[in-house]
This record gives sequence, C-alpha cells and structure tokens, in this order.
Amino acid sequence: MFTKGVALEYRALSLVLLSICLMVADNRFDYLRHARFALAYTALPVYWIADLPARGSELFDDVFVSHSALVEENAELRTQLLLAQRELQVLESLASENSRLRALDEAAQTVEGDVLSAEIVNQAPNRASKRVLINRGAAQGVFVGQALLAAEGLMGQVVEVMPTTSWVLLVADPLHVTPVEVNRNGERALARGTRGAADELELEFVTQTQDIREGDLLVSSGMGEVFPKNYPVADVISVRNDPGQDFAVVRARPRVAVNSTRHVMLLIPPAPSLALDEVDVAEPEVAL
Amino acid sequence: MKPSGSTYWVVIVSLFFAYLLAIVPLPDWALNWRPQWVLLFVFYWTMALPYRVGLGLSWTAGLLLDVLEGSVLGLNALVLLTVAYVSLSLHQRLRMYTPVQQSGVVLLACLLALGMGQWLRVINGESVPVDAGYLFAAITSAAIWPALFSLLRGLRRRFITN
Repeated sequence: MFTKGVALEYRALSLVLLSICLMVADNRFDYLRHARFALAYTALPVYWIADLPARGSELFDDVFVSHSALVEENAELRTQLLLAQRELQVLESLASENSRLRALDEAAQTVEGDVLSAEIVNQAPNRASKRVLINRGAAQGVFVGQALLAAEGLMGQVVEVMPTTSWVLLVADPLHVTPVEVNRNGERALARGTRGAADELELEFVTQTQDIREGDLLVSSGMGEVFPKNYPVADVISVRNDPGQDFAVVRARPRVAVNSTRHVMLLIPPAPSLALDEVDVAEPEVAL
Repeated sequence: MKPSGSTYWVVIVSLFFAYLLAIVPLPDWALNWRPQWVLLFVFYWTMALPYRVGLGLSWTAGLLLDVLEGSVLGLNALVLLTVAYVSLSLHQRLRMYTPVQQSGVVLLACLLALGMGQWLRVINGESVPVDAGYLFAAITSAAIWPALFSLLRGLRRRFITN
C-alpha cells in the first residue's frame, strides 16, 4: 500500500511535467500539428453522433412536409427569386459603373472568389471562446485563415484544420478583431468581440468626433486581406460619448445569429494569388 | 485483482458517452450550466476501480477531450490528472461517504478543475478573463452526481464482476 502511494505521486508529477511540455510544444512552437491532425480522427465518431439530432430534425422537416406546404414554399421562393433577379440587374449595372470609376481612379479591385458550402456541426463546448465546428477540412482544401460567410453576413475565420472538419473563430470572440468600415461614409475601425456572454462587437479606438451612429451598418473593409471587401458584418447598436474618456464606446451586434444558422460558405480566394505563391491549398500553414 | 478485458471496455464505452454529452450543442444560456461530464466519469472510475483506472487513463481521457474541444494539447489532460489524483488519494475515504456527501467533494473538484482550465486557457492565449459564470457548471455537476453515481455503480456491478 505504501509503495503504491509513493509511486502515485511520482507518476502524477511526471504526467504533470509531460502535460506542461505538451502545452508549450503545441502552443509556442507548433511542433504537434501533425499529431493533432492524426488525433482528430478519433474525435470524428463523437462529432458525427453528436450531430445526429440536428441532421435528423432537418431530414424530418424535408421528408414529412405536406404537398400544400411545398407548393406554398415554392411560390414564395419563386417570388423571392424574381425580386433577387431584379436587384441583380440593378447591381450589375452598378458593378460595371463601379469598375469604370475604379479604372479611372486606378484603385485595386475588390476581393472576389468562389465559395465552398459547409455546415455548422458543433460549437465550442464552453463560453470561454466563441468558435464553431464546420464539416469541411483538409480533404476539401480548407486552410487556416479562410473566411467563413453566411447569407446574412461575415461569420469568422478558420483557425484549425482537421482531416474533414475545421474550427472557425467567430467575429464575436474576444480574441478576434475584424477590420470594418461604416457603410454610410467609409469611416474605418477595428471591431473586437466583447468578453461578455452576449454576441457583441466593440469598435476599438474610435475618437469622439468620428461619425458613427446607432443603426449604421458595418461592412468588412478588406484590410488584412482575410475577408472580402464590403461584406456586412454587424449593426451598430449603441454609441456612447463620454467627454472624460479618450475614445467613444461603440457597440455592434453581428448580423449572423450563430445558433440559428447551419448552412454557411467558405470563401475560396481567386486563383491568381494561389498560383503566384505556388501553394498547395491542402497544407494549412502556407495560407497564412 | 487481475484486470479483465471487459473492464476496460465498460470504462471506454462509458467515457464515449461522456464525450458525447460534453460536446452536444446546447443553447447559449445552458452552456455555463453544462455538467463536467468527462470529469464526473473519470472521478467515478478512479474512485471505484483505483488499481485499474489510474492516472494514465485519466490523462489520456483529458488528451482526447483536448482534441475534441480544439484546445491546446495537454490542457484538459492536466486538469483531469489533478482530479484523478485527488480521487485516487481519497478513494478509501470517499467510498465511506454517502453519494450526497460525495457531492461536496465533487463540487470542490469541479471548482478546482474549472478554475484551472480557465486559468490555463488564458495563459495559452485561447481565452480572455471572463466573469465567474463558468463556475456554475460545478453546481450542476455536484447536483447530478448522486444520480450518476448510482447509474455507474449499477453499470459496474452488472458488467465488471471481478
């Protein structure tokens, strides 16, 4: 019994040291990337089963739907398509006008690219970080730093790529900073996620004289070249000017409601930049 | 005391369910209240079978939780190792307690684990200091312990005969 007790302490101590070495090696030196990648296979069945209820309810919604409801939905979608097409016509003329103006101005082109559809299959299990897991990974060419978009707006960027899944850091995470601009007047700012439980953003270093109002739409400014330019990010919900402070406190709410969104898309950057770097998209490190 | 193969199968399959419960998506308000499932399972097995489920298995369980949560490797391993150490050192005393009394120890172990986890996350730059709401999980964990204890004891008596 006594020898067992002594051995327990030594074993505990050696495992503590091993854990600390692992954390340092993984976090500071990035030695364990391949080990993480391999270990991620063991996590796959757990994710798969945890996602069953959500997929089941979606399947249920698709299969057990009445004929009249389908007809109704079809008609509604057709109206929406018509409206969208009309708006697209206006947009196309605007786009051509815009490109002519840009040519005059010799300004850089906006970021454009293809998208890869994905589904959110899980979320970070605690409130300490705001992340979601998507069902696309290295097998589909996802890389670290790739932008994730939803129909309503910008969601975040990929921070870890696993064989067939990836972790995405959301714009509302306190460690994520999104370069944005006010859609109304092009005022630029940096939007950082807030620490609280609410999904909110706070604009950093906004002077009290800057023209940002409640209700303004914040779009991505395209700086940093991670996110596409002019994609909606958040709506300003409050602006507080305190004469005693250096900066105004501006809060914004992201456009995407993460909990009610399942279908999302990953932005695939246009080909030329990839060909330029001679990179293999499946390798996560080169995309940074 | 020679461990049979089935012992490990029962432990591993039960841990699989713990992982499932640990990551199944919950609404935002419930996230802070989610019991520390993997911790509770490790606590039970180290207490009930201290010579078969020891530090090594607890540590490995934590490592897999790290992979599952996408946190830095070794973080949950260290946390679960600490909990397993407490449980292994106290297992003879813990067995004398009633399940409700054990809940008190579980509460302390969960507070320790949650605090340590958050502290390590901040050190590793995965998270920022937040309000103490994440500690609520300790309350739900302690509250659910008596039920989980009888469930796992039933499992042990049914499947682990030696």
